[in-house]
Amino acid sequence: MSRPLTLALSKGRILDETLPLLAAAGVVPAEDPRASRRLIIEDMAGECRFVIIRAADVPTYVAYGAADLGIAGRDVLMEHGGAGLYEPLDLGIARCRMVVAATVPVPAPRRRLRVATKYPAITYRHYAARSEQVEIIKLYGSMELAPLVGLADRIVDLVDTGRTLRANGLEAIEPVAEISARLVVNRAAMKIRHAAIRTLLIRLQAQVAEAGA
Amino acid sequence: MATPHEDWMLPAGVADVLPPEAEALERLRGTLLALYRSWGYQLVITPMVEYLETLLTGVGQDLDLQTFKLTDQLNGRLMGVRADMTPQVARIDAHHLHGEAVRRLCYVGTVLHTRPDAFGGSRCPLQMGAELYGHGGCESDLEVLELMLESLRVAGVVDVHLALGHSGILRATLDAAGIPPPVRPLLLDILQRKASPDLASFLSAHAVSAEGGGLLRALLELHGEPDVLPLAAEQLAEMPAAAGPLQELRWLVAQLRERWPAVALHVDLAETRGYGYHGGLVFAAFQHGQGREIARGGRYRMGGLQQARPATGFTADIKTLLLASEPRVPAPAPHTVLAPATQDAALRDYVERLRREGHCVVTALPGAASPPAAAIIEPDGQGGWHMRHCEDEKE
Repeated sequence: MSRPLTLALSKGRILDETLPLLAAAGVVPAEDPRASRRLIIEDMAGECRFVIIRAADVPTYVAYGAADLGIAGRDVLMEHGGAGLYEPLDLGIARCRMVVAATVPVPAPRRRLRVATKYPAITYRHYAARSEQVEIIKLYGSMELAPLVGLADRIVDLVDTGRTLRANGLEAIEPVAEISARLVVNRAAMKIRHAAIRTLLIRLQAQVAEAGA
Repeated sequence: MATPHEDWMLPAGVADVLPPEAEALERLRGTLLALYRSWGYQLVITPMVEYLETLLTGVGQDLDLQTFKLTDQLNGRLMGVRADMTPQVARIDAHHLHGEAVRRLCYVGTVLHTRPDAFGGSRCPLQMGAELYGHGGCESDLEVLELMLESLRVAGVVDVHLALGHSGILRATLDAAGIPPPVRPLLLDILQRKASPDLASFLSAHAVSAEGGGLLRALLELHGEPDVLPLAAEQLAEMPAAAGPLQELRWLVAQLRERWPAVALHVDLAETRGYGYHGGLVFAAFQHGQGREIARGGRYRMGGLQQARPATGFTADIKTLLLASEPRVPAPAPHTVLAPATQDAALRDYVERLRREGHCVVTALPGAASPPAAAIIEPDGQGGWHMRHCEDEKE
């Protein structure tokens, strides 16, 4: 059973921060996925291969078993439901916060609160947990604009440094979740490829512990 | 408004099965039912719909959400279209068939789900399964487990991995860790995702004792080849309630290794599937290339049924099994014999005889192109009919 493990990665911050971690764990892609246009890249040792996909697609690839493992932000897992996936390891990378933000001073809502977000499921759960009924507007980008032009009263979005919020006169008013990237594993693969996955998991765990120390 | 083209579309997750797959599916169904008969499992046919009270008694919320509901126009009561036949079969055992004897039942039928399955998107699996009622020991667990493996074998599914778990160990750990029932669903979700980062935050948020936390963390790591069992016995030694289940698992592993050496075994003590429903062994079969289980089962006790008895069984979707099976030599296409459309008593008798003998006889309708045939019926020149093989017209 020497088929390589397939690992799903997404371009951007997760990839930038994952590659050093993987390299320290002994997994090095044969070519730089950030520079390559290829969607499947083998690793040097022939133990792994990488598929490079959109962040939001990682859970789907792994749930279907098209990839044995993947690295996905907790925001994506919470939004799309990590159903059918194992999430055994938080890599502690690509850290940010998901928050509720509003224009300052925070205007008192005159009606049912309107919230613009890329994450309708998380937003729904956040407000439902406080028994608050809100109107959710799904947007694909530039969330900060919505309160400025009267489209929404609040936004739920990821914040790293908070510069974009401040530049638009917004402020984080409530935390929603701490976000970082997690290793996810297909349930069948965890059983069928247990030894190989376990080895990789332990090596990554050691790296994460070292980075955290 | 649907366009004329869309009028012919089937609902999402609903599909026709066309020739020759339909034939293969039917053949597999027949093979499996014959197998169950030879093991002493009697066939039951359950209704497509029944009242929700009986259909959803003692089952989880998942099944409730998967069940299509409709109103009985005779009395206004709510009916459900079956989404899983297992509770129906348990109801039959408890309410229709009397006596304390061990009973073996099997079933096969199409079920309907409200939401497409995430994999392949089907909403109408062809569910098949076998259940054994009235015996609480691990010998009956082994029997249904072996019947599942035998089903996979006759279906031509190779390279099978079998995962074993035991909800008794899970329950004992939750009890020992003092997890109050209201927060158990949250913890079960964490265990199901093997999300150790979330377990850490759960333990601190709910002030779980250090010993309890240690047990839960150990449980989360106790999966892998069957050699995790001795390790589990060490790590969970503080919990007397886990000893029996661990012993059962060791016994099963020993039996399976001897009888099914080709089947790779995997033990997962944090498997939470059917925590509320299964009361003992849980198992599932996996195969390379299939992202999830292809058959599953375990011991359960149906809550809510007045005479519910100990039960153990397994279930699978025959359509999934067919996809997972090795591409086998296709069954020989029936030997098609072409008959002329002549109205003649002797011809009719001859055709009838051939059909009884197992030939497929097709009438060459006037004016229609003849289908490819292996043989043609012709006058034999003496007022009768005979068959001439078409050597050169073979497909």
